[in-house]
Amino acid sequence: MPVFEYGDVKINVDEDGFMENPEEWNEKVALALASTEDVYELTDEHWHVINYLRDYYQKYGIAPMIRKLCKETGFSLKKIYELFPSGPAKGACKVAGLAKPTGCV
Amino acid sequence: MRTNIIKITDISKPGQLTEIDLQELAPLPPPYDDYRNLPGFKKLPKATMENLSDSPDGVLATGLSRPASKEEEERLINLFISGLKKLFTKENNWTFLQPLILSMEHCAKCQTCNEECPIYEESGHNEVYRPTYRAEILRRLYFKYVKPTNPLMRKFMQGDIEVNWELISKLFELSYRCTLCRRCAMSCPIGVDNGLITHELRKIFSSEMGLAPKELHEKGTVQQLIVGSSTGMNPEVVKDNMEFIDEDISERVGFKVETKWDVEGAEVLLIHNAGEILAWPDNPAAFAILLDAAGITWTMSSELVGYDGVNYGLFYDDVQLARIAMKHLEIAKKLKVKKIVMGECGHESKALGVIADRIFEGAVPRETAMTLIEDIVFNRGIKFDPSKNDFPVTLHDPCNITRAMGVIEPQRRVLRYIAPKFREMTPHGVNNYCCGGGSGFAIMSGHNFLDWRMHISGRRKFRQILEAFKDEPPGKEVPKYVCAPCSNCKGQIRDLIDFYGAKEKSGLYYGGLVELVVNAMVDIKDKFIDFDMM
Ligand code: SF4
Ligand code: SF4
Repeated sequence: MPVFEYGDVKINVDEDGFMENPEEWNEKVALALASTEDVYELTDEHWHVINYLRDYYQKYGIAPMIRKLCKETGFSLKKIYELFPSGPAKGACKVAGLAKPTGCV
Repeated sequence: MRTNIIKITDISKPGQLTEIDLQELAPLPPPYDDYRNLPGFKKLPKATMENLSDSPDGVLATGLSRPASKEEEERLINLFISGLKKLFTKENNWTFLQPLILSMEHCAKCQTCNEECPIYEESGHNEVYRPTYRAEILRRLYFKYVKPTNPLMRKFMQGDIEVNWELISKLFELSYRCTLCRRCAMSCPIGVDNGLITHELRKIFSSEMGLAPKELHEKGTVQQLIVGSSTGMNPEVVKDNMEFIDEDISERVGFKVETKWDVEGAEVLLIHNAGEILAWPDNPAAFAILLDAAGITWTMSSELVGYDGVNYGLFYDDVQLARIAMKHLEIAKKLKVKKIVMGECGHESKALGVIADRIFEGAVPRETAMTLIEDIVFNRGIKFDPSKNDFPVTLHDPCNITRAMGVIEPQRRVLRYIAPKFREMTPHGVNNYCCGGGSGFAIMSGHNFLDWRMHISGRRKFRQILEAFKDEPPGKEVPKYVCAPCSNCKGQIRDLIDFYGAKEKSGLYYGGLVELVVNAMVDIKDKFIDFDMM
């Protein structure tokens, strides 16, 4: 299993870089994972997205629909791509410590 | 063209058989013609290669851990051989035994089929992707273990082959380098089906050895049977999501759109690939609008598995396939619906529409969305203004709907009517090329498999799409719509567009069929398809 290291963060990730043990997530881990997106500072806007994703994930056990994410955060898809260059699923969800999306999505 | 010769028996030797070299691939048209300007091909770290499968080509779709001991290796070998033997018995192979045996015994080795395989061709004729390469390995194993001939004769007639870890791991990987598109089978003068052979190989690995890509098995069929959907949506989440879609769409179209749940006695039980709900919500929304406008009573099911038409069992395991198909059929029976309509999903259509007939008798009638949409467009008095679809459109034929099921014309009749700038790809219909994401590949991206399916398995489709639009201004100014009425194909086409930067460079967009139909409805005042949102 690949290990991802950044600063003093050391976590197990899958082949796509998603956390293997999402319960190990914390803010430091988020910052570390963000570096894989070439994002080195998490602004309030980043946190707005991350917090929404985490709340939803904790409640329902999966990532929200992308359209729901946009509507609930008030950010357009374009804006989400600006914040997380790999997009909502591969970028934002990864940084928020969600498991990799499954099924035909 | 490649010159290195790879022998069938090399499969049992340690190490890689070939290496992907982007310069050897068939070049793409401009502006994608210089491989140096395209994303590269990720080479796997040495440690990964040392710990995992013996890869045939430096690519890993799955990656087995190497056996820790001689005993472990022996165990795998014995399992493989017993699985091989079982594959050829009636009790264990209730789906495809006869065509499999025919395919084993009657290949004339004329090699006609090879040039029909988009993977083999686009790879620059890389020997390991030759349709008959994999098939010949299984054939030799068949004549060694299942229908043994005199060893001397065998050596002379069929060639010998050794089963060891190298063979098992490389063959397992190779069974995930063919999309099961069955284009090769169409060209075989004898009817030998190399796609089926790959499929049956996967069955040995899954049923007997418990080896299958986790995207298809653990996160796929297993999760679907436990949680309700391969996407991880349980019934509560799916209802919540559909409610959100209903509200969102009602707002956009200006009238109330409402999903129906668990309506007994409805004409149609609509089963979407649940990925549509999460990733392409306009598709289920468009179905709701269209069915209502046609005055058809319809429902979705909120029972476990009933709201996800996905059946990845089709790709690798008959038992999983049967479990899921049975759930779908039981739910339809319980709801007393007149028929099941499979949403825009190729493998769902094939699994439930065709293969289920090999397993269950007297099942509820089933229909693909293609014929239902055709019926609605032409026979239900809905008014269309085709000029609303004022952009160029081409159609991707999902292999499972066209080649496997023979549903060719309905979707074209619809497009010729509602999309004035519709043009065909070459070739199309039963001769179509797979999107490159077939047989579950579209959801597999581990290790460097994404690079493989973008550079190699999806290359022919990407080329075809570009060629279909070659008379249009090449750039981004004109949006071009690739209609792909299949969730799996849509995922692959989305990935291709992203990978090659083709939205920016060529103005490529993609979506389903039903969205185009709704976009042309006179009653939909605003645009239903909004390129700015795609
Ligand atoms: S599978 Fe058919 S086309 Fe291919 S080599 Fe054998 S006989 Fe010829
Ligand atoms: S089934 Fe399709 S991908 Fe597989 S060998 Fe035949 S042509 Fe190639």
